[in-house]
Amino acid sequence: MSENENEALEAAEEEIDAEAPAEDAGAEPDVDPEIAAEEDLPAEEAEESAPEAEEETEESMFDEDVMPDDEADLLIPVEDYLSAGVHIGTQQKTSDMERFIHRVRDDGLYVLDVSQTDSRIRTAADFLANYNPEQVLVTSSRQYGRFPAKKFADAIGARARTGRFIPGTLTNPDYEGYIEPDVVVVTDPIGDNQAVKEAITVGIPVIAMCDSNNQTSNVDLVIPTNNKGRRALSVVYWLLANETLDRRGAEPTYALDDFEAGI
Amino acid sequence: MSQSQQQERQCVSCGINIAGMSAARFKCPDCGQVIFRCAKCRKQSNLYECPDCGFMGP
Repeated sequence: MSENENEALEAAEEEIDAEAPAEDAGAEPDVDPEIAAEEDLPAEEAEESAPEAEEETEESMFDEDVMPDDEADLLIPVEDYLSAGVHIGTQQKTSDMERFIHRVRDDGLYVLDVSQTDSRIRTAADFLANYNPEQVLVTSSRQYGRFPAKKFADAIGARARTGRFIPGTLTNPDYEGYIEPDVVVVTDPIGDNQAVKEAITVGIPVIAMCDSNNQTSNVDLVIPTNNKGRRALSVVYWLLANETLDRRGAEPTYALDDFEAGI
Repeated sequence: MSQSQQQERQCVSCGINIAGMSAARFKCPDCGQVIFRCAKCRKQSNLYECPDCGFMGP
């Protein structure tokens, strides 16, 4: 490479460096919001790849308006919900989920009402406490929900079916994995539609974690939450496990880290 | 079946008498009152309200 070419390259790099901060100042993070919500990058990784973007995301996340009553009594501090992205919905909404949506952000993402998520976690724990632990089935076909779902099942003594839900699990007595649960908890009614279908066939109630784009058809109890983020699912399953154990009079011994998969 | 038993097996949303397997029977998570939901109301995601405590679902 000649000297002239080197000089030209250096000059171009300087220009880019000078432009970058001006672009970032006051602008939205340079990440597709939906992809960010779905992938739920851990803070450390995101910091490495785009420090400026992460700083801005965190700042905007913590002063966000996420529930009508700012002084609601929550299971964990609202900052913990926000850092896990439990409130982040999608850019689509359904009429079924409208009552759980608090507002819409400038980037088009719907924001779920965190106080309702919190109260529904308590309600679901009350609901599950009515059942024999072994008669509770937890399903997750979604990759990020598999580990927390298994851990949740372990914690409360329930059964888990993660990955592909084999048709006939609830309906075919000839299948060796056939079970007869009394209640089903699904991570996503879309991904776990086979489990929901079979629950209808056998007439058992369904508890579902629903995002703003889910329909609540055939669901008997909705837990409104971001069901696409890794950390969001970990937090929700962790809280649900602790609350369920609490209702039974057992001592909750799990920390949030126990529910976070190392994917 | 007595009249009271029939009343107990009515859908909490639409009031129809429940028959068949697709209906769900569960206890209200707030008060423990037994709630029935018919297959149609479940499919259409009709709201239900606990007659005892007023809990709104799903």
